[in-house]
Amino acid sequence: MIWLTWRQHRKQALYTVIGLAVLAAFIVPTGVAMHRDFDRLVVKGCATSTPDNPCDTFHDFSTTYGSYIYFCVLLLVVPLLFGLFWGAPLIAREIEQGTHHMIWTQGISRRRWALTKVGLLGGAVTVLAVVYGLGIAWWFEPLGYLESRFDEIFFDVQGVAPVGYTLFAVAVGIAAGALVPKVVPAMAIVLPAFIAARIAVALYARPRFATPVTNDFPVIAGDADGGGGMQVGSWLLNSDIRRPDGTFVSSGAMVCPPADATECLGGLSADLRNRQVFQPADRFWTFQWIEAGIFTALAVLLVWLAIRRVRRII
Amino acid sequence: MRGQEMEHVLEAEGLGKRYGARWALRDCALRLPTGRIAALVGPNGSGKTTLLHLAVGLLRPDAGAVRVFGETPYENTTALADIGFVAQNTPVYRDFTADELVRMGGKVNRRWDATLARTRLAQAGIPPHTPAGKLSGGQRAQVALALALAKRPRLLLLDEPVASLDPLARREFLQSLMGSVAESGTTVLLSSHILADLERSCDFLVVLQAGQVHLTGAVEDIVAAHQQLVGPRHHGEPIDGVATVVRARHTDRQSTLVVRTDGPVTDPAWTVHELSLEDLILAYLAGSDTQSNHEAWGVAA
Repeated sequence: MIWLTWRQHRKQALYTVIGLAVLAAFIVPTGVAMHRDFDRLVVKGCATSTPDNPCDTFHDFSTTYGSYIYFCVLLLVVPLLFGLFWGAPLIAREIEQGTHHMIWTQGISRRRWALTKVGLLGGAVTVLAVVYGLGIAWWFEPLGYLESRFDEIFFDVQGVAPVGYTLFAVAVGIAAGALVPKVVPAMAIVLPAFIAARIAVALYARPRFATPVTNDFPVIAGDADGGGGMQVGSWLLNSDIRRPDGTFVSSGAMVCPPADATECLGGLSADLRNRQVFQPADRFWTFQWIEAGIFTALAVLLVWLAIRRVRRII
Repeated sequence: MRGQEMEHVLEAEGLGKRYGARWALRDCALRLPTGRIAALVGPNGSGKTTLLHLAVGLLRPDAGAVRVFGETPYENTTALADIGFVAQNTPVYRDFTADELVRMGGKVNRRWDATLARTRLAQAGIPPHTPAGKLSGGQRAQVALALALAKRPRLLLLDEPVASLDPLARREFLQSLMGSVAESGTTVLLSSHILADLERSCDFLVVLQAGQVHLTGAVEDIVAAHQQLVGPRHHGEPIDGVATVVRARHTDRQSTLVVRTDGPVTDPAWTVHELSLEDLILAYLAGSDTQSNHEAWGVAA
C-alpha cells in the first residue's frame, strides 16, 4: 500500500516540492537580507531607542522591506491549494475513472485502503506544512516590528495555524470527493467551504479565544506612559476615545504631550480617555495552537465522515 | 470438510438490491456449480452489474443473501482472496505501466502469482513499460484479465469484458480466458450482451431480465429442453409435451412458439425445430412486454 500510494501520488508530490522550492527561493534570500539589515539598522543602529519609539534607521529598514508584508496576502491561498490538488482528487479521481472497482476487489479492505492513503498523504502534508509555517514565521520576524504578527492575515500565514488550515483544506477535499465523486465538482466545493470556515473562525471565534485586556489611559500623557502599556506584537481589537462616563466620542487614539495640550486637543475636553481592547502579544502562541487545534479537529471529523462514506460508495 | 458445499461456488437466495425506490435486482435465486463457465445475459439495466458487484462484495444486499464459497463477500477480505474480478470497461490506473500494475497486485494481495501475470502479458504481446492509458482497449482488457488471474482465484467474475472490443480482440480475449481457466479449473461468471461469443465459450447460462433471473441452468440442458414449434394459429390451449410457452408469434393462420418442453411433442399439427442458444435467449428477452414504455411515452402500443 505504501508503494502504491507513493506511485500514485509521486507526480503531485514532485510538483508540490517544486512549488515550495520556488517559494523558498524567494523566502530564504529575502529573509536572510532582512534579518541582516534588521540587525544592522535596528538592533545596532537604534541601540538607544526602543521599538515603540523607533529611530531614523528603523525608518530606513521599514522603507526598504515594508512592502514585503503584502506578500503575506498571497500566502493565504497556500493551504487552499493543498485542499484542491491533494484532497479533492484522492477519492474522487478513483471513482471518476472506475479504478475503485479494481483496487477495492484486490486483497485489502476499503477501510484499510482509505486509512493508509489518508494517513500517508496526511503525514506528508503535515511535514510540508510545518516546514512552511515555521519558515514563514522566521521570515516574518523582522517585519513583526512593522505589523504585528498577531494581526489578521499575518497571524494566518505563519506558525502552526497554517498546518491546521492545510490539514483542514485537504480533509474538506477528501470529504467532498467522497460525497460528489467527481474531481472538478469536489474542487468546486472545497473553495467556498474552506473560505467560509476560515472567515468564520478568524472573525467570530478567534477574538474570543481569551478574554481581551482593556487599557484605559488619559489623552494627555507624557512619553513615559504613552501608549498605555500595550506591547509591540499585540492584537488590537478595538480602540476608541471616550468620556469619563464611558460614552463614545470617536474611534482611534489620541495622545497629547502635557506641554502643548491645549493646541493638540483642539477644543476637546482634557479629561477624555483612550480605551484600547487587545490581546497581549504573549498570547500569540496560545492562539496559534488553539487555531491549529480547531482546524485539525475539524479535519479529523471530516476524514472520519469521508471514510464512513467510502464504505457506501459503489 | 466443505466438500458438499463446494458443489456450488456461488449461491444467491432471495437476493435483492435497491437504489432508492427502484429494485435493481429482486428475489434472485442462483446456484453456480463449480468448474462452469457461466454466461450472465440480459439487456442493459437488467441487473447484471449489480449481481456481479454483490458477488464480489462491492455492494451489500438489501434483501436475501449471496454466498461465495459459503462466505458473505461484503467487506470480507477472506472471500475476496478467492475472487478475481474484472470490472466494466476494465479499469486500471492509466498512468501505471503493465509492469507496475503487476507489482501493485503483489502489494495488495496475499496470494499473488506475478510470474503467471507476466507470462500472460508476454503472450498477449503487451509492452511492459507503456502506461496503461496508452494501450488499446483490447490490450488493456488483457492487462485487467492478467491481474485478475494472478490472484489465482477460484471464481472469476467478469463484467462485460469484451463490450468495447472489436471482433478480433474479442475473440482473442475469450480464447485466452478459456485457455487459462481450463488449466486451473476456475469457475467463471461472465456478463455480456454479445450472444454469439457466449455460445462458443460458455456451458452455463443465467438470463436476467428487469432485475430477475428468468432462466438458469447448464447450456446443454437448456438447449435440449427448448424447441421451436410451427403450426396452426394457437390460442393458448395446452399442447402435449409443452411445459411453458416462452414466446409466441402469430400470423392469421399460423403460430410460431418457442416452448420449454417436458416431454416429446408428438402432435402432428406442430413441426418441431431445434433452437440455437442465441435464438433461445432472444426469445426469453423479447418475451417480456414493452407495454410500460408505451404508457410512459404516452403513445399507443
